[in-house]
Amino acid sequence: MKETAPNPFINGLWRQNPTFVQILGMCPTLAITNSVQNAIAMGLATAFVLICSNGLIAAIRKHVPKQVRIATYIAIIATAVTVTDYLVKAISISVYKALGPFIPLIVANCLVLERAEGFAAKKPVIPSMMDGAGMGLGFAFGLTCLGTVREVLGAGTFLGIHLFGPNFEPWVLFLLPPGGFISLAIWLLIFASYRERKDRRERARAALLTIQPAEVQS
Amino acid sequence: MTGATTKSAQMIRFLGFVSLLCGVLIVGAHITSQSRIRVNQEEILRESLAQLLPGMTRQVIYIVTPTGKLASAASGESGGKRIFAGFDAGGKFLGVVLEASERGYADVISAMYAYSPGSQTITGFSVLEMKETPGLGNKIGSDPDFLANFKALDTTHPVAAVKHGKKTNPWEIDAISGATISSRAVGRMLAASVQEMAPIIARHRDRIERGN
Repeated sequence: MKETAPNPFINGLWRQNPTFVQILGMCPTLAITNSVQNAIAMGLATAFVLICSNGLIAAIRKHVPKQVRIATYIAIIATAVTVTDYLVKAISISVYKALGPFIPLIVANCLVLERAEGFAAKKPVIPSMMDGAGMGLGFAFGLTCLGTVREVLGAGTFLGIHLFGPNFEPWVLFLLPPGGFISLAIWLLIFASYRERKDRRERARAALLTIQPAEVQS
Repeated sequence: MTGATTKSAQMIRFLGFVSLLCGVLIVGAHITSQSRIRVNQEEILRESLAQLLPGMTRQVIYIVTPTGKLASAASGESGGKRIFAGFDAGGKFLGVVLEASERGYADVISAMYAYSPGSQTITGFSVLEMKETPGLGNKIGSDPDFLANFKALDTTHPVAAVKHGKKTNPWEIDAISGATISSRAVGRMLAASVQEMAPIIARHRDRIERGN
């Protein structure tokens, strides 16, 4: 296995995607994805929190006493979330109302603390912010995937635009909580089978490379 | 021993520094976003008023004091129920908009409705905030057939929601099929609000229609 340090941005966006690979932050993933607009807004809010908290934590990482590091990270994350809360309210009250209590709840999103402890605490500021951006946008991508399935099937719209004409009977189940679980399962299945196929192909290629010299010898 | 105390002091100092940093950031964000948030809130209010009273360009806000008197919001009175009187560009009185809320299926539904003191009818209804079931209960804010109930809803008789397709009287609300609980909540909310506010509005009708 090649173990070159991956680009932190691509890593979060794709290889370690928070929703489909790490399966982190499931509470907003299931709760807020009944429309594409909410999914995008929530994803961007989380990305902003991640960039701010990762950047700040990386900046002070060398001075944090080990014993109080969790308290420090939580205080910084809570600050980033509060600032985001004001920001969303200042940008659009209707988005703020749609997201309801889920913006303050970003504090409790394990993805944010995991990136603080797992990345920003050990790496310089710029890579940490890149990691935050990658993870945040990867999270936004995951939420948007779910939101698309749920809004299209559950309401017959995409970003509020009607897709199927007046005779479409919406599949309301997809807007309700079970629809969140069902669409998450569908996406996880798609991504898992894609990853497995890719793995198998790579293993086959590696096996081929190790076998060939032996065959040449015999 | 001294080593341990220095370490504790260091930790406390560091946490103090982090708290100060966080405090400055939060207060800074609060101060810089306040004016923008207030503008947004006023805009949302104006939009929902204009939606309920088409053609409205000017509104006068009254506050009902605990003693049942009417105070202008400009006088600094606050805390009571609000009455929004709407006027068009020519200064003609269009009606009042009132706020109402009631427990729905999931949580409290808060809404605004337009009321015409002359004909004693409700002429519009719009939901401000709700957490009703998406796809079912939340249709009370968007379903065109349901909202058509509020074109001229008679309030001389107590307003009530009836099962879908059973509306026969002008004071009845035709409920949404599959969302009877939410529809009933709307009925209860309007009935209670009209019962409380209509006498106050009738008492001060001249002043409200003049807009002073």
